[in-house]
Amino acid sequence: MSVDDVPETVTAALADQQVEGRVCLEAGAGVGNTTAGLLAAGAERVYAVTNDADHAVTVRERVGDGNADRLVVIEADLRATPLATDGVDLVTAHGLCNVLPPVELDPIAAELTRVAKPDSRLVVDDYGVPPSGAAVNRLFTLENAAARVVDGRPALTFYPPAVLAAVFAEHGWTVERKKTLLDPVPWTGAHLDAHAEVVRGYADRLPDVVGEPLTAMAEDLVAAIGSERTGTMYNLAFRLAD
Amino acid sequence: METRALGDTGQESTVLTFGSIALNWLEQEGANQLVELVLDHGVNHFDVAPTYGDAELKLGPKLRQYRDDIFLSCKTQKREYEGAARKIDRSLDRLGIDTIDLYQIHGLEYEDELDTITADGGALDAIHEAKAAGKIDHIGLTSHGNPELILDAIDRIDDLETVMFPLNPVVAGKNDGEYDYEAVLERCESEGIGTLGIKAFAKGSWPPTDELAEADRPYANWYEPVDTPETVRERFDFAAAQGLDTVVSPGDPKLVAMVLDAASRSEGMDEARQRAVIEEARHDDSPVPEQLHH
Repeated sequence: MSVDDVPETVTAALADQQVEGRVCLEAGAGVGNTTAGLLAAGAERVYAVTNDADHAVTVRERVGDGNADRLVVIEADLRATPLATDGVDLVTAHGLCNVLPPVELDPIAAELTRVAKPDSRLVVDDYGVPPSGAAVNRLFTLENAAARVVDGRPALTFYPPAVLAAVFAEHGWTVERKKTLLDPVPWTGAHLDAHAEVVRGYADRLPDVVGEPLTAMAEDLVAAIGSERTGTMYNLAFRLAD
Repeated sequence: METRALGDTGQESTVLTFGSIALNWLEQEGANQLVELVLDHGVNHFDVAPTYGDAELKLGPKLRQYRDDIFLSCKTQKREYEGAARKIDRSLDRLGIDTIDLYQIHGLEYEDELDTITADGGALDAIHEAKAAGKIDHIGLTSHGNPELILDAIDRIDDLETVMFPLNPVVAGKNDGEYDYEAVLERCESEGIGTLGIKAFAKGSWPPTDELAEADRPYANWYEPVDTPETVRERFDFAAAQGLDTVVSPGDPKLVAMVLDAASRSEGMDEARQRAVIEEARHDDSPVPEQLHH
């Protein structure tokens, strides 16, 4: 694995951004897709911030080789990062917001704004609300039910682009461009498996009498859906006021 | 059907090229009918090779009948002068025509082959000689090989006018150099070299022969093809949207009608959908674990 394996969504989202020579923050590094894209595009430094220890390991293993001087993987809560104020030129949030409950959006936007330099850029990529008839909604609903039982918060929230634009506008960010990254979104078997794995993770923290049926339902849904093309993934490019 | 300039050759090729290997699997009467069907859809570029069984012989009658309507490309796998010169004459004889519009060095795989082809006494000498004699009109190259090697061939063959190479969503989703045919496409575009896309309809490799004997494969393609109207249309639209000058039809005659329909009705493919198709293919065999997102 290397910085070569960058998804088309990331490449398209970054295509018109100045990345080369810039200090970048990937908010919610996940498995490192955008971090890989930023490094491939010549970022001077990438802070890959995640609150998930497994993800931190994955990102280091995936793109760490040969990038020791440019990659800093940080395990931190995005509401309070250890990064300096006004230190970052470009912030990316690729597939981040849909895993944030509404109550966390504003504090995270505030923190990302704090670390961003004046006149910096922000790239937000996320999913539109899936169509009401989409089969994947059944799996996402189950995932949210499991998350609410365990954590008292949803696992997934799909925000229309106007909502995220409004949240960041409150902190001085102006949308410069909107682009559709995927239409339709290909929810492959691998994606559905990953979502079922999230359900399994919650189920493991519940008594078997509740957890086992939840897991079984997730597995049945994955088998029943197989894969589905539905909805869109969008990209918003923001600029921070001077 | 839409036509596109085939590089700087002066030829305006339909966005679908008929891969005449499909004729090899048919009797002469069936071959004639398939060529008529292809021409009815407006296709004006046919591709053939001496290694495709009887395809040259079976194409011959209709090619001669409609010679002015068909831009014919043919190929040789010979790397040295003698073999290539013989193959040109043999193809002209089997096809029953005087001139092959585009003659391609076929299936370039190794650097040393390129050395042989371009050396004194190499295939390129025979091709240049044939061109001077009016037996061929334009010079091309085909390869499933390393994109770097194709770029090298472009550097080393000054009068190369077309390149044929694989392009589909699986290939487009791989960023490593081994599959970087997009670099070939860009280079060709910048140098006015015509581009022909193959494997646009490939779904994957056939299972190993101990699982599925070659004789039991449902299609005569080198690879397992997509075979529903929807997937065929998507693959055609994708390949055409990458900027190829023309996309070569798959080798099994059973698929040709479906592909003709797709090419005739194509309305293009926007970038968000192209990315969706690539992402879908990429995730099918991605080594990256736990992908919640795209």
